[in-house]
Amino acid sequence: MRNVIRLVWFDLNHELRPPIWIIMEWLTFTIQLAIYGALISQLVTGISNYQQFYAIGFVVMMTFDMGSHTGRHFVEHAHEGRLPYLLSLPIPRSKLFLSIALQGGIELALMISVPFVVTLVLIGNFTIISVVAAIATLFCLGFGVAGVMLGLSFIAFKSADLYTAITAGLSSIIIRFSTVLYPFIFLPPSYAAAALFSPLTHGSDLVRLFLGFDPNILLNPVYSAAILAALAVSTLGLGMFILQRLVEGVKSA
Amino acid sequence: MYAVETQNLTKRYGKTQALKGLDFMLDSEEIMVLLGPNGSGKTTLLLILATVLKPTSGTAKVGSYDVTKQPTKVRQVLGISFQEARGFWRHKPAEILRFHAAICGVPKSRRDTAIEEILKDLELWEARNKLFMHLSGGQAKRLEVSKLLIQRPKLAIFDEPSSQVDLRGKRKIWEQIRKLREEGSTILIATNEVREAEYLADRVTILDQGKSVTCDSVKNLKDEITGGDIVELELEPGTDSARLQEELKQIQGTVSLVSGGENRYKAHVSIAEAWVPKMTNLCFKRKTRLLSVRVTEPSLDDVFLHFTGKALETPKNA
Repeated sequence: MRNVIRLVWFDLNHELRPPIWIIMEWLTFTIQLAIYGALISQLVTGISNYQQFYAIGFVVMMTFDMGSHTGRHFVEHAHEGRLPYLLSLPIPRSKLFLSIALQGGIELALMISVPFVVTLVLIGNFTIISVVAAIATLFCLGFGVAGVMLGLSFIAFKSADLYTAITAGLSSIIIRFSTVLYPFIFLPPSYAAAALFSPLTHGSDLVRLFLGFDPNILLNPVYSAAILAALAVSTLGLGMFILQRLVEGVKSA
Repeated sequence: MYAVETQNLTKRYGKTQALKGLDFMLDSEEIMVLLGPNGSGKTTLLLILATVLKPTSGTAKVGSYDVTKQPTKVRQVLGISFQEARGFWRHKPAEILRFHAAICGVPKSRRDTAIEEILKDLELWEARNKLFMHLSGGQAKRLEVSKLLIQRPKLAIFDEPSSQVDLRGKRKIWEQIRKLREEGSTILIATNEVREAEYLADRVTILDQGKSVTCDSVKNLKDEITGGDIVELELEPGTDSARLQEELKQIQGTVSLVSGGENRYKAHVSIAEAWVPKMTNLCFKRKTRLLSVRVTEPSLDDVFLHFTGKALETPKNA
């Protein structure tokens, strides 16, 4: 376990030097919420406070971004020459995978910490249990998305451009066809049918439920929790399989 | 038991076959140099041994451990210095080495002194607190080599350890590699630099197009070249050169003898160590004074040319 912590710390230290990008993400969230969120909430009817709804949606989108960043990060490791080095270290592949997952989790926690606290302050009505449940949902979603991106990483070993195109396309579909910005009951039927398949729909609805939104405008929480848990477990399992069985360091010459 | 053994090892990248049924053995505590041009399969072999790549078929063992069945055990006894030093752009050399030493199990009490010693010896001490991205190519390469010199594994694998490094730096790296072997490590080096191979190798394996062409000591490989040694003679003026030239041609091992001016000859011989005493004996019998003798051995580039029909050092990779 000591080596896992060393790996996480070493890589995290690299990623956060300097920590500008995380600060920029926090600033983006604050500006979006304070200006766009406040303005748009004046126009939206049918939801008692759209700014709060929007804040949670934005945190969920950041979680999704961070999850896909973890997956992409792994691919970048391969192309920058770090993966062959990591693969040659005297540690089992399972521990290497655990370190990647843990690092992703810590980065996620760092990135959403400020936006999440701001959202909680904005909502004002929460309990310790509801906050813990909401955080657990976000982590479940983050790990699931990272697992999907890791699962797609084998494409990157053939073509980095193809991987970028596929993940960018997939990300935009997953975000657009979801309930991060609009409640499920207000979506047109065709749009709503597609949104049911987006993990962001289930992540955002579950977090909203835990933070006190009206259950009538949200999906069935048991259904959403089951889908998110299944996604995290299956895709992380797939990612681990890929790392143990398929992944090879990209040959440099 | 061999330190490394591969049997019928193959590796395919799509339609390209990088290794074509390679059989390769490495004894304990020897320095084996893999010599071959770019694309001959050297790096692929090293990466398979380091468990970074998986073989397509065949077996590869490091000590008693199979690289596909016991990869973690393999990684615990070997270390690899990669061809290209890349990756941790925003870390500093001292941090990179500290991390590497810790994860490879170098005792904490030895880490800092070992790092300081190696960084000073490879002239990286001044650059220890620079970011990796600000290091020169030669400094980055020396840092890559330093990882293994601190780790001191049982099997140390170096992929082109001194490429991009100046001559002074090369000598330092070579001395450190020799020291590593003296302390009991087995060394496997891939290179296409003839000087590096000549300086370091106990044995050389010539790889060409994914196959081992030959494997022997540098001396034996050179001796395999018929007429590979060149002996240049200068005799005292007034010698009956026509007669002596005929007699020199009769010495066993003479492949060709040409006159290089008055009383000067250039002989291509198989083994100069055997030919020169016979030649001096002949001169003594003929009461002919030798003014000078100069023996030139074939280079490993000549050896490579002899075995593969191709030059190793082209203007591109020399």
